[in-house]
Amino acid sequence: MPASQLHLPALGFGVGLRTAHFSYLLQHPAEVDWFEIISENFLDSHGRPRHVLDRIAERYPIVMHGVSLSIGSTDPLNFDYLRKLKRLADDVAAAWVSDHLCWTGVAGLNTHDLLPLPLNEESLAHVTGRVRIVQDILERPLVLENPSSYVTFAASTMPEWEFLSRLTDATGCGLLLDVNNVFVSATNHDFDPVEFIERVPADRVVQFHLAGHTDCGTHRIDTHDGPVIDPVWELYRLARSRSPQAATLLEWDARIPPFAVLEAEIAKARAADSRRREPSDATESSGAIDTLGPQRSGSARRTYEAVPQPAVCVTAEVE
Amino acid sequence: MMPAESLAQIQRWMQAVIRQPGGDGAEQIAERILPSRALSSRERLQIYANAYAARLLEVLAGEFPALAAIVGEELFAEFAFGYLHRHPSTSYTLAELGAKFPQHLAETRPPRETDEPDWADFLVDLATLERLYSEVFDGPGTEDTTPFVLGDLSPDDWPQCRLQFAPCVRLIRLRYPVHETITAVRRGKQPDMPAATPTCLVVTRREYIVRRQPVTEGEFRLLSLLHGGATVGDALSQWFTESADDSPPIREWFQRWTAAGYFVGVTTESAGDLS
Repeated sequence: MPASQLHLPALGFGVGLRTAHFSYLLQHPAEVDWFEIISENFLDSHGRPRHVLDRIAERYPIVMHGVSLSIGSTDPLNFDYLRKLKRLADDVAAAWVSDHLCWTGVAGLNTHDLLPLPLNEESLAHVTGRVRIVQDILERPLVLENPSSYVTFAASTMPEWEFLSRLTDATGCGLLLDVNNVFVSATNHDFDPVEFIERVPADRVVQFHLAGHTDCGTHRIDTHDGPVIDPVWELYRLARSRSPQAATLLEWDARIPPFAVLEAEIAKARAADSRRREPSDATESSGAIDTLGPQRSGSARRTYEAVPQPAVCVTAEVE
Repeated sequence: MMPAESLAQIQRWMQAVIRQPGGDGAEQIAERILPSRALSSRERLQIYANAYAARLLEVLAGEFPALAAIVGEELFAEFAFGYLHRHPSTSYTLAELGAKFPQHLAETRPPRETDEPDWADFLVDLATLERLYSEVFDGPGTEDTTPFVLGDLSPDDWPQCRLQFAPCVRLIRLRYPVHETITAVRRGKQPDMPAATPTCLVVTRREYIVRRQPVTEGEFRLLSLLHGGATVGDALSQWFTESADDSPPIREWFQRWTAAGYFVGVTTESAGDLS
């Protein structure tokens, strides 16, 4: 049954494929329906990551989730990157390819962050044109995620849900509705997360993301380092009621627990739309913002503990 | 009120302020970024500046865990920020972030006081080998190819043949036995700086795991000649010309190299590609 107007498969409930679970997954069946990969970690891999991906792809559907498409950048699109993206998507029969409504760098640089766009007519026209090009190259619809964001531009003229709605209308792209990001951004931008969920075009939502985050008191940071908290589950139930065929994906990228913990969290997601869940024991991480200084000091690492995702990379395994 | 700015202008400005807080453009933060109920414009943008530093530092510390452990958190951060300032990422993948880190450390090391290997050389060696491990780990390998057996070759063909090395085989000469330091750190120990000892390693990969094999100077030299494309005959001839050792265990070396999977085939002028 199609998940949406895009006629993409209804995949069910999945988790992100991370190196910490490679050995476990090669030896045990997983109580999940599908896996999502960070595309960039596999585009050039000829080693164990790609080997494991190929084995997993034999058993489960794969979705490719990128962090470097930089669809909103004013730099030219990287066609070499796009060709590699398409080749990998073909190789692993990716159910779909997603990335974020963001930019990651300009002037040839990559900050490896999901930087927000000013939400206005110029940005919308710019992103619309680039989504069309990307979809032509990939020969499949692109699915874009609402990122967590921390600043509001004075140049913005519309809410994010309106930007996303008009973008899907103009390009036919799909939406990856990250419910945790809605909650995080709602705190950071002082908007109503329920209104956001109710305003995005439900028939364009292909997939949901769920994750934990860090409550810094004055703001929230999307750290993917813990369980999903109750208010996010509440939003998820609302979102699922509007897009019941959309797939669900749990992200856990820091302080990664044993795979069984992810399976337990997925079981909660499966149950979330069938009954009212008891309050969970999930607690938010806490962090603190530093004062912006002119220079970074050597003690930076200690004070920058709440690292917004993505920071996912591969570490060599050595005998 | 500022005139309307293009998207390109805003992005160039934001990237600059994130990469260099306090640099040019910082005075425009309040004009371009709105405050939230809880945070000022400057504090909001600070989140991205912090994230840029923290994320890339985390990635480098993940790729160079032994270097980070040896120099400590603060000095490693200083190295990393200096590197990122001079060599910001231009790649779509974080796997490339540390590619020039060993070279950067070598170029920015303090002046030498003697000709002997020193602390800075030790750190450069550590970084060099850790980066090599990353490249071998995720680079091309031989796991999907049939093992090559040197015994299939006619003895008459030996002198003329050239050995084809597996793409994951890398030969590296170091001033310190940093492979032992790296192994110790990965096992949770905090090793001291070892004595300078010329160290020859063959780094390769089997079953998707990086392997490193210390070899003798003589063994390393012959492997290097073969790796450089010399025929077996020419390599042996040159080796014996250079070496004072007139009875090296050549047969044992070749047996061990073959068993370790260093070769994937040979080419001979008479028979062509035998891989």
